[in-house]
Amino acid sequence: MPRPLKILFLATDAFGGYGGIAQYNRDILTAMSHAKSIGEVEVLVRLSPDHIGSLPAKIKQYPAVLGRLGYALRAIARALVLRPDIVFNGHLYHGSLAYLIAKLIGAKMISQLHGTEVWEQLAPARLTPLERSDLVLCVSRHTKACYDRQSLRDQANSIVVPNTVGPEFQLGDRQTARKKFNLEGEKAILTVARLDSRGGYKGHDRIIRNLRALTQSNDAVSYLIAGDGPDRPRLEQLSRDCGVADKVRFLGKVPIEDLPDLYRAADLFALPSTGEGFGIVFLEAMSCGTPAIGLNVGGSCDALADGALGVCVNETDFPAALQAALRKPRPAPEALSDAVTERFGRKVFNLHIETALAHLI
Amino acid sequence: MCGINGIFAYNHSASVPSEAELIATRDHMFRRGPDGVGVWWSEDRRIGFGHRRLSIQDLSERANQPMSDGTGRYTIVFNGEIYNYPELRRDLESKGYVFLTTSDTEAILHLYALEGEAMVHRLRGMFAIAIWDREARRLFFARDPYGIKPLYIANDGWTVRFASQVKALLAGGQISREPEPAGVVGFYLWGSVPEPFTCYRDIRQLPAGHTQIVDAAGVHPSKAFYSIARVLAGAPRIHGSPTQMEARIKEAALESVRAHLLSDVEVGVFLSAGIDSGALLGLMRDAGQEKIRAITLGFKEFEGTPEDETPLAREIAKLYQAEHVVRSVDRAEFKHDLPLILEAMDQPSIDGVNTWFVSKAANEAGLKVALSGLGGDELLAGYPSFQDVPQWVKYLSVPAAIPGMGALGRAALGLFKQTGISPKLAGMLTYGGTYPGAYLLRRGLFLPFELKTILDPELLSLGLGRLKPLARVAASMQPAPRAAIGRVCALESTNYMRNQLLRDSDWAGMAHSLEIRTPLVDCILLAQVAPTLRSFKQNFGKQALAKAARTPLPAMITKRPKTGFCTPIASWKTESISDKPLSAASFSRAWAESIMEMP
Repeated sequence: MPRPLKILFLATDAFGGYGGIAQYNRDILTAMSHAKSIGEVEVLVRLSPDHIGSLPAKIKQYPAVLGRLGYALRAIARALVLRPDIVFNGHLYHGSLAYLIAKLIGAKMISQLHGTEVWEQLAPARLTPLERSDLVLCVSRHTKACYDRQSLRDQANSIVVPNTVGPEFQLGDRQTARKKFNLEGEKAILTVARLDSRGGYKGHDRIIRNLRALTQSNDAVSYLIAGDGPDRPRLEQLSRDCGVADKVRFLGKVPIEDLPDLYRAADLFALPSTGEGFGIVFLEAMSCGTPAIGLNVGGSCDALADGALGVCVNETDFPAALQAALRKPRPAPEALSDAVTERFGRKVFNLHIETALAHLI
Repeated sequence: MCGINGIFAYNHSASVPSEAELIATRDHMFRRGPDGVGVWWSEDRRIGFGHRRLSIQDLSERANQPMSDGTGRYTIVFNGEIYNYPELRRDLESKGYVFLTTSDTEAILHLYALEGEAMVHRLRGMFAIAIWDREARRLFFARDPYGIKPLYIANDGWTVRFASQVKALLAGGQISREPEPAGVVGFYLWGSVPEPFTCYRDIRQLPAGHTQIVDAAGVHPSKAFYSIARVLAGAPRIHGSPTQMEARIKEAALESVRAHLLSDVEVGVFLSAGIDSGALLGLMRDAGQEKIRAITLGFKEFEGTPEDETPLAREIAKLYQAEHVVRSVDRAEFKHDLPLILEAMDQPSIDGVNTWFVSKAANEAGLKVALSGLGGDELLAGYPSFQDVPQWVKYLSVPAAIPGMGALGRAALGLFKQTGISPKLAGMLTYGGTYPGAYLLRRGLFLPFELKTILDPELLSLGLGRLKPLARVAASMQPAPRAAIGRVCALESTNYMRNQLLRDSDWAGMAHSLEIRTPLVDCILLAQVAPTLRSFKQNFGKQALAKAARTPLPAMITKRPKTGFCTPIASWKTESISDKPLSAASFSRAWAESIMEMP
């Protein structure tokens, strides 16, 4: 039996971190802790605002080092002590450092791409470490395509390892959930997303602009917007301009423990975004039994499985598809939730990580 | 010879492939295989194969594909011919394998079960293979050493798709048509799209002489199992008289022709007035083939002129008692067929029209298989490049190494453009000092510095960056054979012949459901001839081939000056794109541009 692998994992944040990238890193590290081929993983992070909590077996995370130089020196020092078989470059920003360490100690290198960071043309300093990686993990087919388009390699070194969804997102008592969010007779459309300063790419506008038409053809519709950010005033103004301010409820940043109930309470999860690297919120909603709709743009196609899990349409067809999705009877939640688990559940994710490592070995 | 395709949803998160897509891709290749059709799905429907059959060995339905072995563990789709099939079968039967057909496909299946990936070393012939191993859940691809048969692969990260044609993959409707800059730039540089690139970003050719594995972890990097340059570089130098060398070439050529006659249907031959096809015809006779039909193209425009090849071809046919079929092609037919030619042309090419018409003629004559003399010039040093490239390197390596000389030459082009100075002449000091550069000058359509005026700067920059034309050509002659003749042989065989001539033969032949076999493009033949190459004096190789048949080709053929591309097709093409007559070089460039502009 081959010797268990040692991994040096360089990340912006992981355990004790906040946001999608930290979550993804935690998911990967948890999967690595289950992988038979892995002996130990040392995690070096730049940020760790929250309590690290208990770590999975085989995983050791060092206290965060924010400064670049300090981080780099610690990474090199740990590499010289640990002598890892694999250096894991958890973010584009760490590419050069990860490559340097991998070269220095003769280790293999895996790089992680989360999505939108490769949508624009990368500077050579960012692209070269990716091209020289033994493997580049991409969260979606679109991310892979964006990277492959820029890479000068003859043979692609990229594979797709999609996001997974946490076990807390599961079926539950919908009626209680609806009460919790004060939903009575009306149908509720839900979007969970940052209200990003880039203005509108998440697609809230597309729903607000269609809300009047939806209320005319349905009994009662409300639109729940979870998430906060600098785009909120613009969206509030847009709601007023469209005459639907009374139908739009800005919930602000919803605590993570309340999110499953929020998804369960909604009749339809909608994120007609043009800028998703993957769109993990689709999985969260559908795992809670709520149907989802999005655009066939970017990584959303993967989360919606090209229409097999959720509705996936182009921008032009979106208003009609939204109308139709809202009118349709709510599908069997168990079947939807199971279908998501089958494609994107933890077991599948763990398998992805195992097979990715097998690819490298 | 067939059309193969498949879809494998290897990623755990991928959707099950659609039958409609599999069938649409398969049936786009109708002309590759009009005799039979098949489809196969794994039990979990995560992988499916499609096949269109042109029956050549074992004409019965039991030899249809996709074909599974007795255990159901292995399933294959295969396009090509394995010429050492009888020998392989005997060996496999001696090891206990039971054959249900007399098809070479079944031999590959058993050989894979026995030897796994290493079995490719035992195959002689042309092949594009896909084998599914149910137990290992692994898809295996292989492509023949010279790259005679194509195999295109598209991998989106969830699902891998493959087919014998680029356009067939596109017909499935799931692959982006976004252009591949390296493919586009490569076409302008060479007149054909250099592998592994195609004109589409998401479709790549499996390189010749490579295998590849796809499993749950994705598409693994392809691995080379054969290198023409390595064979040439590693060939021992043998010493002997010219007569002994000729005898070696003769024996090897006869053996190759004999192997290439393995068929359950009639095998014909393309016949021009040149040495290669004439020698093949003579060797077919020596190999014992009784009925031989030889197909020659004739052009009304050439009747009664020295360019008309039909009288000499007739003499050759008479010499070897072949039934001679002369097929006349005129301007009207060219005009009529041009849209069909462009439709059948799988990837852009500045050539292949001749092969279209001679394949059409063979098909009309009822042939399914024809031998072609393709490869003789590459193997036996028949091209001017065998003299030019080494000489340019010899005389230009020192001046080209002086900093600024290349730029000076290109500046001269700018200054004297009006005088009609050739861009290639201007590029001599930039490229002429190395083998890859000199080869680009010899074979190139446009030179890299000219493309700025044709292509979008961003596409050009990315295309050149990914294509790395000179590095790629340099790699194609590594490990470098010691002798110049070996180097040029490697360059011609792995670039011009592979990307242009063999690709054109595939699409033009297949468009007429005709299998074109190339006995002079053969690994065993190369291994036999390679040790003699360093003893070649000018024209020795081709003259040796001319003497290979028991009745040698007559002097009127062997002493005939090489005419090159001697058909009126070039002028017809010119008429289709320009009101004015064009020089040969200008025509090729204009034709290339017009092809890329066509929808």
